[in-house]
Amino acid sequence: MKQLKLLALFVIPLGIIIAAVPADKVKHFKLTADELLQEAGAGVQFISPDVVADMLVQKDPSLRLIDVRTPEEFEAYSMPGAINIPLSNLLADEYTDILHQEAYMNVFYSNGSVYANQAWMITRQLGYENNFVLEGGLNYWFGNILSPAEPSQTSPDEEFAKYDFRKSAAAALGGGGVVSTEATAPAVKAVKPPVTAKAKKKPSGGC
Amino acid sequence: MGPLAPYEIISENTNFLLAFFIGIAFGWVLESSGFSSSRKLAGVFYGYDTVVLKVFFTGAITAMLGLLFMSLFGWVDLDLIYVNPTYLTSAIVGGVIMGAGFIMGGFCPGTSFCGAAIGKIDAMVFIGGLFIGVYGFTFTYPWWEKMYMAKFLGFPKVSDKLGMSDGFFGLLLILVAIGMFIVAEWAEKKFPREEY
Repeated sequence: MKQLKLLALFVIPLGIIIAAVPADKVKHFKLTADELLQEAGAGVQFISPDVVADMLVQKDPSLRLIDVRTPEEFEAYSMPGAINIPLSNLLADEYTDILHQEAYMNVFYSNGSVYANQAWMITRQLGYENNFVLEGGLNYWFGNILSPAEPSQTSPDEEFAKYDFRKSAAAALGGGGVVSTEATAPAVKAVKPPVTAKAKKKPSGGC
Repeated sequence: MGPLAPYEIISENTNFLLAFFIGIAFGWVLESSGFSSSRKLAGVFYGYDTVVLKVFFTGAITAMLGLLFMSLFGWVDLDLIYVNPTYLTSAIVGGVIMGAGFIMGGFCPGTSFCGAAIGKIDAMVFIGGLFIGVYGFTFTYPWWEKMYMAKFLGFPKVSDKLGMSDGFFGLLLILVAIGMFIVAEWAEKKFPREEY
């Protein structure tokens, strides 16, 4: 009984202390500049537009597209199901829950990939995970996914497979029509740079 | 700065080496506290000896307080601590099987190895049964798979489900543990055994 009293005397005050202090909000998992440089150099943040197109077509619920352009640009055009978080408001409290989470795979996009990349760097620096950047941004998306150029006759089979996928994805995502005039133009020239096949990247959560 | 292994402050191999030494220390403490006797473990269910309950609960609240305070001081990142995924059905079924085996055999897996190490025959038989169970489950896994994977709840924490802070839940758990210890000591007085 004496031991029990001793134990109670010791652990109950400790319990009261730990219950009284505010929950640990310190983000001690921040990345150092070195680590960030390493990640950025390896390009781990990029997600290929083909993967995003596939997820959109499959209606993958884990995909969340985040438009980091201005609200005006977002109004003018946005990708299917995208939400708008302007880069200038990225750190607003209301967006923390969206950017710092484990359920979704957030994909930032902008016209190119510069602003999206900035958004990724900022969130990554804060230690947030599951944020990615749409490789090539909207420009590449329009030019290659929604209006794919037919590969030349001598292209390897995988180019044709990719072309077929993109064509059907474009049809499913309501592309083509938007930029139908452009779509035929590059097909005539057929000088599309070879697209290297990228391995699919899956978001890696946890440790 | 922590946890050490996920942050690669120590290598995987060092991690195993540390686990090895901690394991030896754990076994030694178990043995020297008398946990290698199945009568002591069975005592929890009859009320005449509740040391097992007290030791494991004290261990749990000590570890809990340690982690919470280390997190408070910024020494360990609780987000990186591995939490078991919860498959509700298999957790309940597994708990029932484990509990039944505990009462019948008088050992839990750790203490059975402890008992076997000092030459107890009942502990060795228990280990034999343990392996039969492991192999039996493995070879018939397709039959159980559906139940095994049923009701996946993710990685929930009780404190999140109840909408309270980790610290407050910790305090509640401490109070519950102390309450249980008082009941346990009362039971020891109520159902004494001279020799076991």
